Amino acid sequence: MIPGTRSRAIVILGAGIATLLSGCSGSQSALNPAGSAADLIARLWWPTLVVASLVTMLVLALLLVAIFRAHKKGAALPLSARQSRNLVIACGIILPLAATIPFALSSFSIGREIDAPLPDGALTVEVVGKLWWWEVHYLDETGGRIATTANEIHIPVNEPVRFLLKSDNVIHSFWVPNLQGKTDMMPGRTNVTSVTANQPGIYRGQCAEYCGTQHALMAFLLVAEEPEAFEAWLEGQRQPAMEPATAQEMLGREVFLNEDCADCHAIRGTSAEGQDGPDLTHIASRRTLAAATTPNRIGHLGGWITDPQHIKPGNQMPSTELSPANLQALLSYLGSLE
Amino acid sequence: MRVLEAVDVSGMSRFNPDRRAPLWWGILGLITIESAVVLTFCVSYLYLAAYAETWPPTGKVPPILWPSINLGLLLLSSFTMYLAGQGINRGDKRVLAIGVTTSVLLATVVLVLRSLELMAYEFSWKDHAYGSIVWAISVFHYVHVTSIVVGSAVVAILAWRGYFTRERQIGVVVDTNYWYFVCIAWIPFYLLLYWVPRLYVG
Amino acid sequence: MTLHKAAEQRDIIDSPEETAHLARTWYSPRGFPGWFTQVNQRMIGKRFIITAFIFFLLAGILGLLMRLQLAAPEQQLLGPELYNQFFTMHGTVMMFFFAIPVMEGVAIYIVPLMVGTRDMAFPRLNAFGYYVYLIGGIVLFGSLLLGMAPNAGWFNYVPLAGKLYSPGYGVDVWTTMITFIEVSALTAAVELIVTILRMRAPGMSLNRMPLFVWAALVMSFMIVFAMPAVIVSSTLLILDRLVDTQFFIVESGGEPLLWQHLFWYFGHPEVYIILVPALGMISTIIITFTGRPIFGYTALVLSVVAIGFVSFGLWVHHMFTTGLPQLGMSFFTAASAMIAIPSGVQIFCWIASLWGAKIRFHTPMLWVLGFFAIFVIGGLTGVMVASIPFDTQVHDTFFVVAHFHYVLIGGAVFPLIGAVYYWWPKIIGRMMNETAGKWSFWLAFIGFNITFFPMHQLGLEGMPRRIYTYADEMGWGDLNMLATIGALVLAVGFGITLVNAIWSVSRGRPAGTNPWNAPTLEWATESPPASYNFRHIPVVESRWPLWDWQRQDERRVVTGLRNDRREVVLTSVLDASPVGVQVLPGPSIWPFASAVAASTGFIGIIFHPIFFVIGFFLVFFSLVAWFWPRRPWRND
Repeated sequence: MIPGTRSRAIVILGAGIATLLSGCSGSQSALNPAGSAADLIARLWWPTLVVASLVTMLVLALLLVAIFRAHKKGAALPLSARQSRNLVIACGIILPLAATIPFALSSFSIGREIDAPLPDGALTVEVVGKLWWWEVHYLDETGGRIATTANEIHIPVNEPVRFLLKSDNVIHSFWVPNLQGKTDMMPGRTNVTSVTANQPGIYRGQCAEYCGTQHALMAFLLVAEEPEAFEAWLEGQRQPAMEPATAQEMLGREVFLNEDCADCHAIRGTSAEGQDGPDLTHIASRRTLAAATTPNRIGHLGGWITDPQHIKPGNQMPSTELSPANLQALLSYLGSLE
Repeated sequence: MRVLEAVDVSGMSRFNPDRRAPLWWGILGLITIESAVVLTFCVSYLYLAAYAETWPPTGKVPPILWPSINLGLLLLSSFTMYLAGQGINRGDKRVLAIGVTTSVLLATVVLVLRSLELMAYEFSWKDHAYGSIVWAISVFHYVHVTSIVVGSAVVAILAWRGYFTRERQIGVVVDTNYWYFVCIAWIPFYLLLYWVPRLYVG
Repeated sequence: MTLHKAAEQRDIIDSPEETAHLARTWYSPRGFPGWFTQVNQRMIGKRFIITAFIFFLLAGILGLLMRLQLAAPEQQLLGPELYNQFFTMHGTVMMFFFAIPVMEGVAIYIVPLMVGTRDMAFPRLNAFGYYVYLIGGIVLFGSLLLGMAPNAGWFNYVPLAGKLYSPGYGVDVWTTMITFIEVSALTAAVELIVTILRMRAPGMSLNRMPLFVWAALVMSFMIVFAMPAVIVSSTLLILDRLVDTQFFIVESGGEPLLWQHLFWYFGHPEVYIILVPALGMISTIIITFTGRPIFGYTALVLSVVAIGFVSFGLWVHHMFTTGLPQLGMSFFTAASAMIAIPSGVQIFCWIASLWGAKIRFHTPMLWVLGFFAIFVIGGLTGVMVASIPFDTQVHDTFFVVAHFHYVLIGGAVFPLIGAVYYWWPKIIGRMMNETAGKWSFWLAFIGFNITFFPMHQLGLEGMPRRIYTYADEMGWGDLNMLATIGALVLAVGFGITLVNAIWSVSRGRPAGTNPWNAPTLEWATESPPASYNFRHIPVVESRWPLWDWQRQDERRVVTGLRNDRREVVLTSVLDASPVGVQVLPGPSIWPFASAVAASTGFIGIIFHPIFFVIGFFLVFFSLVAWFWPRRPWRND
């Protein structure tokens, strides 16, 4: 790779999602639970940590006593065979059993609780792992797709949401640490997980199964919002793209349809029906670009279109050469797709 | 420090023609490893079958006559190998040579029949997972029969030249053991490739 | 069994001529051509160890480079392609080209000495296994230099490792090199099993066998039963890639999960294959430096055997997030937690043995004490990740990276380095420097914990594994910087041992026969041992033969082995009574030739399937040449 490429990538990354997740280092942390599953797991974690620390200290304390006993007394002071046997039985057999059996049982019951079946009629979202981004479909009761977007998932807060996880390429893993543990997206299978967000917020999710070159920059945002806000958002996403309002935007749409963009991207309501890249019908409503790699601002979008390999080396979007006027028009058009 | 003699081994055998020989154990190790490979192939076959919608995908079961004849020939060749081993146990070099040669010829017939059968397969390993696993197991076993044929041919040559004696026969013993293994390994493969599809389809 | 068969307890006086004759019989050819014909177990073992440590160094450098890349957010040292190759190589080399071969190498060198024999059961096969390993390692690193190294991870999950998503030669190289390691590991395993079961010194019944020999035996059996799974899976993968079979192609009825099952059915025992010999090293060192018999010999043996068995029932805990049914997976939670019991028994047998002993705190002992602190933490995090819900949060994060480095470095590498300090005087004949050894230990111990402890936290804060970069606002920068600093300290720590080892070869204090006053047979012969290992095969009457001899001021030996050819005593499996004498083969070029023939086939198939046939017949002819009886045929 050319050195310059990287430095550019860095600059853009750096300016990146900072503003979105500003200073909130807990936005992708299992220790900062905001969802039911993550909460249960965190409640398993803390007592486990305490017990494990105690066990570690006990073993090390016994070890220190063992090795320094003779030093202090100046003569060997071995345990009798009977004492040794009791030590091994108490600490080597009973202690591990006493520590692991309750742990295994509570882990089992938490697992069952997390896996409990969802109520009928729960909102269902289908997420398809792509190289290296996330395609998101909202489904109706019959499983029909009512809206399609990418890399940004909205859900209503305090409601269990069913996620159908798929992949049509390699294995990915769907994971929002603040809300739930990860579930793999296996080609040829549909895995199901449920997410219940207990607090409104923007949570970051990231692919957790190594999936090739840009595994590192395959993230997404999960926006948990009040039900009314969510309904309004979903209603917006269901609509076809807005018609251009200005001549500039009109030209932008022409550019989009005539350049190679439409081969890979769809904008519902236009003749652009490409399926290889993210659906752009409401791109302006999203917070990030390139699978939560950079914020969705006009400057970043321009940089992404003209040279995506600088921002995310190895990704599948080719660079597009446009005259400055056409680029401006395209950016205004895409910027209008709320 | 005094060094005392405790055991005198000068009178002990230097030949170890049976399971006292390290090589006998070495071949046992090889057979153990390969048995685990055979088992893993079987598990892989059953795993693929368990997740398939139809097995075989075409719904047609493979013909069973020639594989069954091959099974008989392989078992017969094991018996002639056994006779050869019995021969050299008595010191009869001629029975050894004839026995090993007969086994090699029988296994060669198996190779010819298997080649014809493979050529007649109606599917390629490229068609579907069923084709892949059937071909992989077939070729795996074919290669093993080939190795016992060429390996035992060498044993046969040495036998005709009179190298093996009642004492100097560990080569025959390990060759015979490996021969048994290759023939017996055909039994699970035979059941899997030719009878399991009949269970699925039937 | 009565071992005192000789009529009167005859004193043995060796004439220098006889000894010289024996030395000539077991002599290994020197010089460049001689190098390719040596078969003596100590030569092969030493080569395995040195080669493995060179790979450890190289893979360690890759690890350091990855640490530098991750030291701060959005670094530009390595791009994604290079980083992905590096972590794939780091994992593959550490697991396959360092950990298994080095443990085998130590076992190959030490076990025959410990059981009191002159070589291993199949000396030429031993040499063959080494050459296959060497060629495999060279080709693997060659691929890195050519920029076509594997980059789909050491686990090579399909479909990512399939031809569609990993075009090029990288994954082909990986599958081929795995085949090399399978062959090499399996030959060594069979070799060790037969040597241990059939060639122990008379009187060394199974219940008198040194604990390291037990560990080597269990390790070898585990290799025999674990490797076949990866033989089959790597074969299926290379067939998918080279001749378009459909094993892992979903559209044609293939099953990506089959790969995961097969790989982890091997991959989990693999971890214990590395750990088990280290447990044997720990027992050995504790016995020597406490200067008294260990407590719980039987319990320690049973624990190692139990770990060996249970490790085959854990593989699904690598697959908790794949969507398998909960109830079935819970079995694997229970099995994984159960491994805490044999581990606990071992740890407390050792603590009981250390309790109140007059411990000599030499360098080997320090590394073993370091093991306790690190391994206990690694074991506890291991129990944690056996919980399905908890694992869904930390699986494939830096928490798991921390966990298995605690287990593998703390559990295996620390005891291994301790074992190097312990056995180095025997192998080289000179002591390593104690001061440098202690510096090395403390730097490595501190560096290790600074490197890997923060990774637990990083994983819980959501940092996934195998990412080449991360954004500043993720907040992972500080802990990563700390880890990188720790890695540099750790590297300095290991580096001191490397320098110490090289320095000691010419400058170290001469070791003498038994510098540590250890009780096992390898210390009964000169350092380094003469070509024949033991002037006379010893006869053993307890678990601690050298301490017996010291007390009694006399020892008993076997007589009647010829000096003019390579003869060893065969003994029975359980009670080691002598049952025969085996004549072992001497130097030969054919193991090397066969290894070259096999390599030609393995490497060739990457380019064309016809090399399978070519390789088959090349190997066949070289094996015929190898085994063809030379006249005059031996008659006695």
